[in-house]
Amino acid sequence: MSILQPLLVRTLSLVVVFFVILFLLVITLGATGFSDRTLRSIVNEDLRGIRTGLAQTIRDPDQLESVMRERRQDLESFYDLDKAWYVRLPGSLIRVITLDLGEARNMRAFEGSKKISRIVLERLPNTMILLTTSFLVTTVIGLAVGTYLSTHPGSRLDRIISYFAAISFAIPAWWLGIILILLFAIQFRIFPSGGMYSSPPPVDSLPRFWDLVLHATLPIITLVLVSLGPYIYVVRTMTINIAQEDFVRTARAKGLRERHVLTAHILRVASPPIVTGLILGLTGTLGGSILIETVFDWQGMGRLYFETFAGTPDEGMIVALTFVFTLMYIVARIILEIMYVLLDPRVRY
Amino acid sequence: MGSNEIISHLFRSGSGRLGILILFVMVSVSIFVLATFPRNFGSQIWSDPSQWADYPKAAPPQWVNLISEESRPKHIVLKMSQPGSENIYGGSRTNQYSAEFVHSSNEPPSFLSISFSEIQFHTRAPQIRISLLRPDNKEIVLFRHIVRGPRAGETSPFSRYSESDYRTLLTSDKIVLNNVETFFKTSFKDFRGKAFNPDIARHAIFGTPIFEDSLNQTEFTPLTGRYEINIQVISDPRDDIGPMQFVYGGSVYGFMGTDAQGRDLLKGLLFGLPIALLIGVGAALLTALIGTTLGIASGYIGGWVDICIQRGADIVANIPVLPLLIFLIFIIGSKLYLIILVLVAFSWPSLAILIRSMVLQTRSSQLVEMAITLGASPTRIMTRYIFPQTAPFVFAQLVFLIPSAILAEAALSFLGLGDASIPTWGQILEQGFRSGGIYVGYWWWVLPPGLLIVTTAMTFILLALSMEQVTNPRLRKRPLQ
Repeated sequence: MSILQPLLVRTLSLVVVFFVILFLLVITLGATGFSDRTLRSIVNEDLRGIRTGLAQTIRDPDQLESVMRERRQDLESFYDLDKAWYVRLPGSLIRVITLDLGEARNMRAFEGSKKISRIVLERLPNTMILLTTSFLVTTVIGLAVGTYLSTHPGSRLDRIISYFAAISFAIPAWWLGIILILLFAIQFRIFPSGGMYSSPPPVDSLPRFWDLVLHATLPIITLVLVSLGPYIYVVRTMTINIAQEDFVRTARAKGLRERHVLTAHILRVASPPIVTGLILGLTGTLGGSILIETVFDWQGMGRLYFETFAGTPDEGMIVALTFVFTLMYIVARIILEIMYVLLDPRVRY
Repeated sequence: MGSNEIISHLFRSGSGRLGILILFVMVSVSIFVLATFPRNFGSQIWSDPSQWADYPKAAPPQWVNLISEESRPKHIVLKMSQPGSENIYGGSRTNQYSAEFVHSSNEPPSFLSISFSEIQFHTRAPQIRISLLRPDNKEIVLFRHIVRGPRAGETSPFSRYSESDYRTLLTSDKIVLNNVETFFKTSFKDFRGKAFNPDIARHAIFGTPIFEDSLNQTEFTPLTGRYEINIQVISDPRDDIGPMQFVYGGSVYGFMGTDAQGRDLLKGLLFGLPIALLIGVGAALLTALIGTTLGIASGYIGGWVDICIQRGADIVANIPVLPLLIFLIFIIGSKLYLIILVLVAFSWPSLAILIRSMVLQTRSSQLVEMAITLGASPTRIMTRYIFPQTAPFVFAQLVFLIPSAILAEAALSFLGLGDASIPTWGQILEQGFRSGGIYVGYWWWVLPPGLLIVTTAMTFILLALSMEQVTNPRLRKRPLQ
């Protein structure tokens, strides 16, 4: 019970956030007239096609007009345009919540399907490759360097890292990506400038994997560089703060090995804020992936989200993807809360 | 903690002094830009391609000549308004305009162009002849132009090119290319029978042909030296001829170079500075205002007000900002004030939550108790007794909010959701990226705007960091990437 209650409260509040966002989504799409506008233009476009088809067979202009009127009514009821947006949009939202994402108008999956869920499932792993790899690299380097610095406060490396952390607040990740492309792809030609595979992609699995690694290097370096500085700093500061506590001195006085003191006493206590920092960074890069994947032409969710807003407006796609992004974010946050509760015994009481 | 103390603290630390110095430079440049640039610079000048026709396209800055071994031609604009000589003979006047320029590079200019303006004639249409005198004393007649004669129903005097200039790109005009070919065939005897490739007309005009049997095509060695452009206008003595402009298109330009449309990047980058400051300071001020008001109200009034504000803040603070920012701006439209308002809508909660916790401490202080006993109204207590105590902290947070807003707007602009009527650094970067500029190595197009974004953001971070020691080192907020 004691562990469940805080978990439940936190999860519930995140679920509320989720529904508020969806509510905001419907209001924005409906109240601005965006929804009506896009649907109407779709109906008009369809009608233009029908008219040219019908003009071949129906010669009488009056008859043509009446048939067209009928068709317009059919189409409007098909797209639910005869209903007000506050009736129509919640319906489509409920469909989306039940994970029936619908069909895209212009976009296709690589294998040709129009289903948005297919497109999303195709892109999701690509984003995960980038995010999990950079997440792991950041964690390992951050923990190693951060704990090292905590034993050498005020050293030259310590000062360099603190400047590095301050600067990485100010450097947009996407611009850093552009610089890396200019340097390593255009100037020195070490890495490819974008995409996921060379064209044509290698057929065998091993060269294909190596090709993917080469293409993923620059985006991963970018993601690591922007989140590493602040993360090292969090680890260092937390570790230093805890290392000054009495119980650490007691542990040392007991004659425990330094390594044991560091891992079992200091890091154990410092772990909740460190994990918070890390996962907050991850949820930050979820948004950042929109920019990074755009810069590196990486066929992931972020790039898909960008393409949706760059092309002709497709309401179904916009609703579905904003939903998926929010869902991913909320799920990541719930995982964070669970880890926090598990790591920090104080939360339970 | 008074505000004087904060300022003295700023000057004491090295990073604070550096931040203030850069801020001073930025504010001075912004004032200069606001005083000299037209208000509608974005829509009237920056986004109007006709303003940039006579500029070289995608030219790097002039100072690359200092670094690279080869010197590339600089941009030269020659304006001619007064004729050098005037001859009246038998009822017609011959005006001779001329201007000199030095071609010193081995590379020919990227283009040559001529434009006329404001020509007014009474009876016969004026005739214009443009020729180029080369260092080898040979003269190429490039172009002949007869101003369009009277139309039916038009009365004398006839006015031409008064609304928009008449402009010809000499290096791609068919007639000019024919004239150049004729020139080479008559001036260089060996040229006869050789094919003339119009693609190398620029090399031909600024070169001497080499004739070797081994070559299929004629090639040209660069001819450097003093060139003279001569324009002869034959007209009626009463006619008015407006100023003319001859442009020798460089392949390097100005201090910052040009983009693919020929726009002078220095101007765009300069204009971006006050805009960036406006976005940053505007969004931060509004956020601070809303966050502080809600925070004080939440902390002091308590009860349902407190619960509503804190729940609201919780929800907004947990929203995935960038995806929803993109969504909102895409739907409601990318106007600069809307972008600022949406940024404010997403960034007030952290301040409101922090201010509330400070107010909870001060509301039970003796100062506030005294005010209550003296019968001060809640509004008076909140504005006169509680707000001043939070003010230094609010100020430090405000400085931290500025870079977040600047970076968020830059990210939006980079995704193509910037306000198209107002050029920002993010938009310049977006155009450099979207047009494929980075893949052909147009570094001068993508590096400077990014560096400016970073410098501006860094300035405020430096200021905030040096003030942080005054306020609270734990309350650090990471700007949106």
